[in-house]
Amino acid sequence: MKIRSVFIEDTFAEAFTMRSARLIVTARSARWVREAALKLTGFATSVIGCKCEAGIERVLTEAETPDGRPGVSVLFMVMAKDELPKRLVERVGQTILTCPTTACYDGLPDAPDRVKVGSSLRYFGDGFQASKVIGGQRFWRIPVMEGEFLVAETFGMVKCIGGGNFLILAEDADKALAAAEAAVDAMHGMPGIILPFPGGVVRSGSKVGSRRSKTMIASTNDAYCPTLRAVTATALPDTVNSVLEIVVNGLDAAAINASMRAGIDAACRPGVVSITAGNYGGKLGPHHFKLRDIMGGTSA
Amino acid sequence: MSGLRLQLRAPLRDRIDLGPAFGTPWAAASAAEVARREVWSPRSGPVPLGDLFTVEGAPDGTVTLTGDLQLAERVGAGLTEGSMRVDGSVGDRAGAGLRGGRLEVGGNAGHSAGEGMSGGVVIVRGNAGNRAGAAAPGSKRGMTGGELVVLGSAGDETGAAMRRGLVAIGGTTGRCTLLSSIAGTVVACGPTGPDAALWNKRGSLVCLGSVDPAATYRYACVIQPTYLRLLLRRLRDVHGLPVTAEHIDGRFRRYSGDFAETGRGEILAWSPA
Repeated sequence: MKIRSVFIEDTFAEAFTMRSARLIVTARSARWVREAALKLTGFATSVIGCKCEAGIERVLTEAETPDGRPGVSVLFMVMAKDELPKRLVERVGQTILTCPTTACYDGLPDAPDRVKVGSSLRYFGDGFQASKVIGGQRFWRIPVMEGEFLVAETFGMVKCIGGGNFLILAEDADKALAAAEAAVDAMHGMPGIILPFPGGVVRSGSKVGSRRSKTMIASTNDAYCPTLRAVTATALPDTVNSVLEIVVNGLDAAAINASMRAGIDAACRPGVVSITAGNYGGKLGPHHFKLRDIMGGTSA
Repeated sequence: MSGLRLQLRAPLRDRIDLGPAFGTPWAAASAAEVARREVWSPRSGPVPLGDLFTVEGAPDGTVTLTGDLQLAERVGAGLTEGSMRVDGSVGDRAGAGLRGGRLEVGGNAGHSAGEGMSGGVVIVRGNAGNRAGAAAPGSKRGMTGGELVVLGSAGDETGAAMRRGLVAIGGTTGRCTLLSSIAGTVVACGPTGPDAALWNKRGSLVCLGSVDPAATYRYACVIQPTYLRLLLRRLRDVHGLPVTAEHIDGRFRRYSGDFAETGRGEILAWSPA
């Protein structure tokens, strides 16, 4: 299968079940929304080293937020259920509570599984905190030097999928980067997904384990490293000199499918040789995203 | 037209207690079953609802009552489910002890509307008498949950002894609003009467009109509480109260009190720019 001369490999991205919360962060102005969101989602690229994966789902207009102020929707993902409250309390407590004018609301109010966040953070109020129930939802008002921080008592937790991906194999680094940027631009803001890596792009895709160290759970994906073409079992065609990966996490398979379709289509541009995906032979992750099915072709 | 329809057969000459009619699950009950339910007349004792009302329609979780029900007390009392609408005015204690569902009164409500309610929503499109959302006689606690919204004005001791929940008044509010409350919130869109939030422990009185905090309250600061943005937008958008963008974006003078009690309550007085 080819799209505008770019070969789409007959393979699949292998993804995993994770747990997610959606946070709606608002502030007085777009400037402070951005500041809060960047801190909240910072250092949250991969559970391998960051314990969580997070990203801005989309920017919200004033009409879309609970308090009528500018906001963002942030998706937060972890591997285990009991990890989510720890990570949320840490991050909301250190990045949203501390940021001027912000408030933090639950973006999954109908989810039956609930994670305590505000009910833990309230203790920062040292007994001066107060709660209010508005529209059936409880919020905590925590007094701070600036005024008051408002946070939802609990946040909804749902199953989600992490690790949707595709690899862009290009003739050179400039063309790989341009294609990756085009893919990210096409995927940015699509509902129900995040691209947790810097700018949505990964240059250091990994394989499971290590050749040299038993303690490393992941190491460089040598089969796709162009500098190792001569010394390893390479997976790169002769004309490929740079590879970038787009990793996408989503609330469901449909959201990941839609975003991968948009991203791959945008990445199929001059200088890109082929598009492939990372997997572990289908043995580790229960969710398989077949590139040719996604792009409307047929898998072998 | 679906749902149950109750039309008063003849004008009421005496007070009648409609509380027993809908205090138990009714949303799936047929018209005939509802007609057999007994209400209480102080003069003649138990009376089948069907003797007072024609009952028609098919059950769908809604019921509409029409006729002059100003002598009918405890309309919608103890409601746990469904939606009840009354076209006109009702007597005292409408929606008392409401636990769920929705009661909407198209006209005025007497005294003690929403008395001791713990959930659900009571809407009064006209005025309410004294002690709306307050504690029942002999009870320590008033509302413990739910929302009581009066689009008109309310009398004295609105929200007295509240523990939780929300009372919102579109017009003026009488004296001793939020009297002896434990917690909960009263929003007064019009002027609030004297002795507001007296002996209030942790409750919030939000005044969009004039208010004169008692001497046992201390001024704290001018603030724009974010939670008020949620609350006021909800009251405007969901219940149609006269809340403006100036209120939502506005600043509030915060008074802490009542220091005759714990001092952990507040009066938030809107401060026009």
